[in-house]
Amino acid sequence: MGRRHGWKLFTPIAALLAAMALLTLAGCSNTGDPGGSASASSLVVGASLEPTGLDITTTDGAGGPQALLYNVYETLVKINGVGNLVGLLATDWTVSPDGTTYTFSLQPHATFANGDPITAQAVVDSLNHIRTNPSTTATIKAQLAIVTDAVATSRSTVQVTLRHRSHFWLYNMAGPAGIVIDPKGFSTLGTATAGSGPYVFKAWNKGDSVTLARNTNYWGNEAHFGSVTFKYFADPNAMTTAMKAGDINIISDLTTPSALGQFSDTSKYTVVKGTSNGEVVMGFNHDSAPLKKLKVRQAIIYAVDRKALLDSVWGGQGTLIGSMVPPTDPYYENLAGYYPYDPAKAKELLKEAGYGKGLTLSMPVPNLSYATASAQFVAAQLKQVGITVKVQQQDFSTWISQVFQKGDYDLTVVNHVEPKDIVKWADKNYYWHYDNPEFNLLIAEADQAPTDAEFISYMKQAAEILTTDAAGDFLFLFPHIAICDSSISGITANEVTSSFDLTTLASRNN
Amino acid sequence: MAITRQILGRLTTLVASLLVASAGIFVALNALPGDATAAILGTNADPAAISQLRAHLGLDRPLWVRYLSWLHGLVTGNLGTSLLSGDPVASLIWPRFGVTLSLVTLGMVLSVVVAMPLGMYAAVHRRRARGFIAATLSQLGMAVPAFVAGIVLVLVFAVYLRWLPAGGYTDLQRDPLEWFRHLILPSVSLALVNGSLLARYVRAAFVEVLTEDWFRTARAIGWRLWPALWRHGVRNAATSLITVLGLQLATVFVGAVVIEQVFAMPGLGSLLLDEVGKRDLVVVQAVVMLMVALVLIVNALVDVGYLALDPRLRGRREMR
Amino acid sequence: MRRVPLIFGLVAVGFVVVAALLALVWTPYDPAVIDPVHRLGGPGWPHVLGTDTFGRDIASRLMAGSRTCLLVGIVAVAFASAFGIPLGMLAGMTHGVVSRVVLRATDLLYAFPAILVAMLLAAAFGGSSLTGTLAIGIATVPVFTRVARAGTLSVMSQDYIWAARGSGISWASIAVRHVWPNIAPLIGVQASVSFGMAILAEASLSYLGLATPPTTPTWGRMLYDAQAQLFNAPLLTLWPAAAIVVAVMGFNVLGDALRDLLDPRLREVS
Repeated sequence: MGRRHGWKLFTPIAALLAAMALLTLAGCSNTGDPGGSASASSLVVGASLEPTGLDITTTDGAGGPQALLYNVYETLVKINGVGNLVGLLATDWTVSPDGTTYTFSLQPHATFANGDPITAQAVVDSLNHIRTNPSTTATIKAQLAIVTDAVATSRSTVQVTLRHRSHFWLYNMAGPAGIVIDPKGFSTLGTATAGSGPYVFKAWNKGDSVTLARNTNYWGNEAHFGSVTFKYFADPNAMTTAMKAGDINIISDLTTPSALGQFSDTSKYTVVKGTSNGEVVMGFNHDSAPLKKLKVRQAIIYAVDRKALLDSVWGGQGTLIGSMVPPTDPYYENLAGYYPYDPAKAKELLKEAGYGKGLTLSMPVPNLSYATASAQFVAAQLKQVGITVKVQQQDFSTWISQVFQKGDYDLTVVNHVEPKDIVKWADKNYYWHYDNPEFNLLIAEADQAPTDAEFISYMKQAAEILTTDAAGDFLFLFPHIAICDSSISGITANEVTSSFDLTTLASRNN
Repeated sequence: MAITRQILGRLTTLVASLLVASAGIFVALNALPGDATAAILGTNADPAAISQLRAHLGLDRPLWVRYLSWLHGLVTGNLGTSLLSGDPVASLIWPRFGVTLSLVTLGMVLSVVVAMPLGMYAAVHRRRARGFIAATLSQLGMAVPAFVAGIVLVLVFAVYLRWLPAGGYTDLQRDPLEWFRHLILPSVSLALVNGSLLARYVRAAFVEVLTEDWFRTARAIGWRLWPALWRHGVRNAATSLITVLGLQLATVFVGAVVIEQVFAMPGLGSLLLDEVGKRDLVVVQAVVMLMVALVLIVNALVDVGYLALDPRLRGRREMR
Repeated sequence: MRRVPLIFGLVAVGFVVVAALLALVWTPYDPAVIDPVHRLGGPGWPHVLGTDTFGRDIASRLMAGSRTCLLVGIVAVAFASAFGIPLGMLAGMTHGVVSRVVLRATDLLYAFPAILVAMLLAAAFGGSSLTGTLAIGIATVPVFTRVARAGTLSVMSQDYIWAARGSGISWASIAVRHVWPNIAPLIGVQASVSFGMAILAEASLSYLGLATPPTTPTWGRMLYDAQAQLFNAPLLTLWPAAAIVVAVMGFNVLGDALRDLLDPRLREVS
């Protein structure tokens, strides 16, 4: 008796479930949604770092430049896929023999997104705005500090004068420091962009996505996609499942290389692997007593099998470097084999340094997968040579405060992503507290070297010092792995700038 | 009148609770090491810049002064502005509040849908193998971490079958169908765990109903089992179940924080984890306060509702 | 059939406890030792359940994890008992302001997503297991207060308590000699259930990357680390997930079965 009525009870539930199923099916046939395959007109890019603000000259963080640089904001010169400088808003440029005066000739037909022409005066105003705006980030201020003057010498030529010769300056001008902003938009940069790129900013759904739309006034070749959405994932695993599920078309930067196997089907996915600017450094605190000793530092480097670490931690993806220089820099030299894995030698060195009986070191690391995984690996291997490592996992703010600001650590691991960040080793206040006058001198000489050949030679010597002096353990160079579905082509392999350059992308369907 | 006084008393308690909660949240969050200056200045921080920025943001004022000014803002409806972006906190919270509210509401509704039949079935057949199996199912559901359930659901329905999106969210106003499709998997994961827990209470409540004298009488005079349960049992069990639901709200909010992470949903939970990482405490404390206030207010409303409807139930808290 | 839950609960919990005790003195391998050559090995011999991405022995890590997981349960339940039981007894034995304040505070803590604040604290303080565990303990306090109070109230209404009070026996003495022995079984049941909840909560915190330092093997941490390998090595996710489900179910079922055993009157009700 009870049973018959039991079914009655389940009727409304069954109806509800059926309704849900119907809705689900209806949803599947509806292919115009953000998921589904990319039509020529729209593209969804999965990314991990959301911008902190729309004005990339006043906010730090990699998310802003990733979405906006070269796509919404353009620079006089840009860095292409192989690391060379090419003209963008400038057709051409010349440098005076003493290296202090740069003369740029502008694209004659370039316009801002609102249709106004980009005049030499506008370029000068933009540069001066960025230089003098009190809110400009410290990094950009430092990059522009050597500019003494910028003038429009004609309607289409700009002359910039530097305090002294600098090899880094023009590279910096290809980044956020060099973007050309429409002077009409100076006061509203936090809420609206004022650039000249092939896309314009459309919407920012905080915590979720940034959407760009095609700039219909673009002065160059029209953008390929009608709209591009950068969708942000705090959890990298959520990003790979979204890719598998077809919610996104591109993973701009895969941060779980072990997940690569899921994208091996070449009929569905294209995997592009290249190098990045990210050196994963195990930093030594040079103010910590044991780590002041060269032999201890060398022992630690000998005791860690970096090849095995890369295999375990990052699925073998990435490059062993041995110093703070990625292979895309002109002064790269392969130093990866300088310290082969040799635990016996490590023990010996430790004994010679007076730590034969053991040593305990602290290792606070930020709560990022490569850092915690590397720390586990390093701790296990150092234990084999008698060094006890106390690993602590911290959120990024705590880590910045304890390691970066207070210098309260012995070992740590973090990925240094800025281009040409080898110069940071010349700053003794930087968290490594590395102070080597010889190195500092080489960096200063390199920046002001009169020729490229001399610049490269000085930089190579500097990079070698970091290795021989065991300044840090350069664990590996982060790979740049991008994955796109079969409908997309033209993705850049190497990540040499902070931009996710949409201009090279196209869809295969047309 | 006695009822009015009781309701007023309950509301006074609510206000006191909100005050205590606000103080607790404020003190706990301000005890965190590091502050927003670290996130703003990042790797470029130097001591002079830090102290200048701290003064600029008003972080150098004594704790109680900051608390009072925050409290004043809460009361007057001004949640302040984000330390990092300078946006009004309310404008950061509201879009995300919709996400979490949708998830929590749908999760709660589904919990009830799962729990009622399961719990009633287990109660009716409690002496038989079927009832035992139903009870075991709810035990199993309680033991599976919600995020594991979520991952499995994504694998099956998003990655292999491609019926539903693996994550994200669409606004209800923009596209109701997409809104619902995006919510199905997250709210089911939330409901599996929560519904199992609820099913235990449902079972207990109905076992009680089944053994009541009036129910036996109803059966004796010819009411069939399920109609009797449906007509009278549900009404009687509802009182204690609604109370349990109110109390579960806090747990569900916590569950939502985790589920939002699994499904990459731009809700309050991801905002919270994000902003606490950047030490934008103005935003963090507003979010936590909002969640706590919501839970407290809902529970108070449940209580007041009972008092207004049926003063005999004023001692109902004893029933749990 | 009535015995089935009890037996299941005892076996599951016993399994975890034995694994944890055994892990104190012996595991097949050192759970922290890495072996990059044999990484991501499948189940077999000598690694019974296979190896993880660092080549660590999964069976050993599960055993070591059971140790952490028991510790989390014990500390959280002990903390919750230490504060919750006296408060609950106090509220049950007194009337008026004290009782009301305790009740209201309990309600507040109940409604407060304490795990939420715990999450924030764990996020900031670098998630030592202690932070996470204490947080779980704090969130569990009101549960124990309620159970202790309800038990105390029913004891206090007994005739012999009236007699005891009439003969001038002190409150403290009544609490220790009469109330506590009577509510202890109830507390035991609650402890078993809360134990399971604590294990689940630890897993959730670990999933968010918050609760335990990376070098400590816990089931939640193993799940978190295994996620990136979900597609190429699904077993890595399966083992810790299964361990969590079995342990939590074990504690819950044991709690229910104990209640039935201790208090036959409640058998029908829940």
